[in-house]
Amino acid sequence: MPEPRPNRSLLVVAVLALVLWVGWSYWPAGTPQPAGDEVAGAPVRGGQLRATYATEPTNFLRIAAPQPTAANLMFSALTQATLLRTDASGGLEPRLAERWSASPDGLTWTIDLRRDARFSDGTPVSSADVLFSMRAVLGTAAAADMRVGGQPLAVRAVDDHQVLLTFPAPHGPGLAILEHLPILPRHILEPALDAGQLTTIWAPSAPTLSVVGAGPFVLQEYIPAQRLRFVRNPHFFGRDDDGAALPYLDEIDMAIVPEANTELLRLQSGDADVITNFVAAEDLATLRQSEAEGRVQLTDAGPAVDVTTLWFNLRPGAAAGTARPWLLAPEFRRAISHAVNRQAIVDTVYLGEAILAYGPVTPGHGDWYVPDLPAAGFDVARARTLLTSMGLYDRNSDGMLDDESNQPVRFSIITRAGQAGFEKTMAVVQEHLRQVGVAVDVIALQQPEIISRYTSGDFDAIYFGGRATTRDPIGSMGFWMSSGAFHWWHPGQVTPATEWEARIDALMQQQAVTMDVAERRRLFAEAQHILAEQMPALWFVAPRQVVAVSGRVRGAVPQIFFPPVLWNAERLSLVAGGQ
Amino acid sequence: MNRTPLAFFARRVAAALVLILVVTTSAYVIARLAPGDETTTDFMAGVAADAIAARRAQLGLDDPLLVQTGRWLGGLLRLDLGTSSYFGRPVITLVTERGLNAAHLAATALLLATLLGLPLGVVTGAYPDRLVSRVVVALSLALVACPPLVAALGLMLFAVSTGMLSIAPGAIVLPALALGLPVAAMLERLQSQATQEAMLAPDLVAAAARGIPPARLVWRHAARQSLRPMLGVYGIVMGSLFSGSLAVELVTSWPGLGRLLYDAVLASDVTLVAGCVLAGAVCLAAGNLIADVARAIVDPRAAEAA
Repeated sequence: MPEPRPNRSLLVVAVLALVLWVGWSYWPAGTPQPAGDEVAGAPVRGGQLRATYATEPTNFLRIAAPQPTAANLMFSALTQATLLRTDASGGLEPRLAERWSASPDGLTWTIDLRRDARFSDGTPVSSADVLFSMRAVLGTAAAADMRVGGQPLAVRAVDDHQVLLTFPAPHGPGLAILEHLPILPRHILEPALDAGQLTTIWAPSAPTLSVVGAGPFVLQEYIPAQRLRFVRNPHFFGRDDDGAALPYLDEIDMAIVPEANTELLRLQSGDADVITNFVAAEDLATLRQSEAEGRVQLTDAGPAVDVTTLWFNLRPGAAAGTARPWLLAPEFRRAISHAVNRQAIVDTVYLGEAILAYGPVTPGHGDWYVPDLPAAGFDVARARTLLTSMGLYDRNSDGMLDDESNQPVRFSIITRAGQAGFEKTMAVVQEHLRQVGVAVDVIALQQPEIISRYTSGDFDAIYFGGRATTRDPIGSMGFWMSSGAFHWWHPGQVTPATEWEARIDALMQQQAVTMDVAERRRLFAEAQHILAEQMPALWFVAPRQVVAVSGRVRGAVPQIFFPPVLWNAERLSLVAGGQ
Repeated sequence: MNRTPLAFFARRVAAALVLILVVTTSAYVIARLAPGDETTTDFMAGVAADAIAARRAQLGLDDPLLVQTGRWLGGLLRLDLGTSSYFGRPVITLVTERGLNAAHLAATALLLATLLGLPLGVVTGAYPDRLVSRVVVALSLALVACPPLVAALGLMLFAVSTGMLSIAPGAIVLPALALGLPVAAMLERLQSQATQEAMLAPDLVAAAARGIPPARLVWRHAARQSLRPMLGVYGIVMGSLFSGSLAVELVTSWPGLGRLLYDAVLASDVTLVAGCVLAGAVCLAAGNLIADVARAIVDPRAAEAA
């Protein structure tokens, strides 16, 4: 039989159809605009910054969002302004508030508003907007941010540009509390608030151009799950040191890119200038090469302020401690601290991009950090001595320790699945503890299950942590106070279970109501000393928070909180020609 | 027994509805039984306990599972799938938005896979010893064996390093290639096998002996005969493509159903999880239904036997 030949016309039609279909949607929606003219030494005005973000806002009105997400914070930082904010160094920076002064008792503050501030629709910002914003926040789940000792702040207008803020009780951080209060346009939102529709008026399904704010940018376009495009707010109050209007950029084009590797690829290829997160240690080597080629800029924003914690279940009656009382002993935790070589975690897990940590407060916390705390560093001999003193030694010559009832010294650590740093660190801890005869089972779970196990008390130990939003200890009261939900080892105590916890409670309550910063630091340092001595939990390393932006970005001042670059978007600019 | 086409269609529709109901209800119940709920992330965000309690009451999370499931099923009958706790928007709106995106991508990927996979399968099945066939078979095997995540990342790397493919938000070529090429490879392999079998069928051997031109023998007779087994596969392929691909959508930033489901699971947003599974089940059932009907049209004996 002669060999049949393919029908070429059919193939040609198929290929043509494919080419047409591909061509129909091939070309990108737009190409980045080059920046404008560059004046020597001065930031370039104009241009479009290309950003990526892992998630999208769930509500364009942050206080009305069902949950406080990082994307909502980012959106608020770009489009709304507060009276003041904490700058990268931890100091308070005036925003819509021009100046402020306190009464001698520190309870009443007089705040003068800028007279040139306007919302993006041109309406002046006035005291009425401040009063309205306070009223709006107090009606939402974010109300706790504006309460002191459970009581709301009181605010009244003196005139159109001066307000009087009264604290219900002394509050150590003072006016820093106001960085959580976006000043919202009363003329737009008051009808919605009165009608109980605050959660829907700026829902993502609302018309994009209805979103009005006093921030540096205005939302111009929103394509769900794909992109947000911001344009400069022509009425933004900010001025640079030369008195020129901010922001420098004309636009921010933000693509929603949920996958971290894809974000990095976009950054390296020049398709993105700013990405969502800090750079993982394993990606730094590649990025350093891009940095050498001038395509990427890397900045170390400092050690993390949210150090992952290993805590044991010290709740009275916990099954873990009942069957294995040695799990509750301070000596056991101290032995573990001595047995683990933290430097090995720094070197192998974080590839040198981390520092040793012996407590929850790191150099990233600035002046709140106490460098000379007692630390149980790497000392295997000391670890073995401690374990032996507890009656834990190898009774059956299998190389592993046994307790007095001949049960192996074995416990489980729950950690978060899918987080390489968590799982790798626990793998190192597991190996180091095996070398002193302690067996560890590492269980990797998703966050909801970890929280479920934590709240129900069904665990031996957990290696996990939350995300810090401030350096000030007022932001971590839930951890330090024995009644706190994040007092990991024994949360929600009605009365302090131990004397040292009672002492820490007293110190933390005192610092929270002390206005003198030096005295607050002294009180907090004492609390840190007690915690280090008692060691109810363990900390191993604090990763360095490295921020990557493209080579064409200027003016980035990365900070260790979210959003690490865009918090200061009005001062970002691009090099001339966009390259 | 009278097996009319209408009765066949009615049986298939009923089976599809049962499948959708069982799958979706199971997804809701399993998601509810899993640790964590809509307030879990509130806890980690430091939301006050009384605010969390109020939200739980508002969402009805303190009710027994049976009551919650019944409420959800009641809503389903009214096409009210509830409100997403994470996005604060109606689930049906979110699922429809993303479903349309997923359908756009799936249709493009399916067209790509069909235009590449079927003709190449006929070629490799009819001319297995040619060089082009060997190259195509090797590529197909590699693509079939390649996990979607790796294929998508590889294409993304190619796109950013060469600039030949757009990675702009909404550009469809990259995700369509990532989704469609493995399917094209699978179709090519199946079509190749079916073509080889068709070429050995007695009627084709007889036709060849009667002197029918070889090209006509392959592209008209063998290709048509081999389409019949392919239709069954198409149902499954369509269903899986239209219900979204998590890996491809994540890597290429395509806003489809897979990504929505991923976000819902991370946020323990059970109503949204159930909504996404419902959409996926509908796609799967519709794909199978279309394939069954198409097969019945091509081969009426299939409908009678069913």
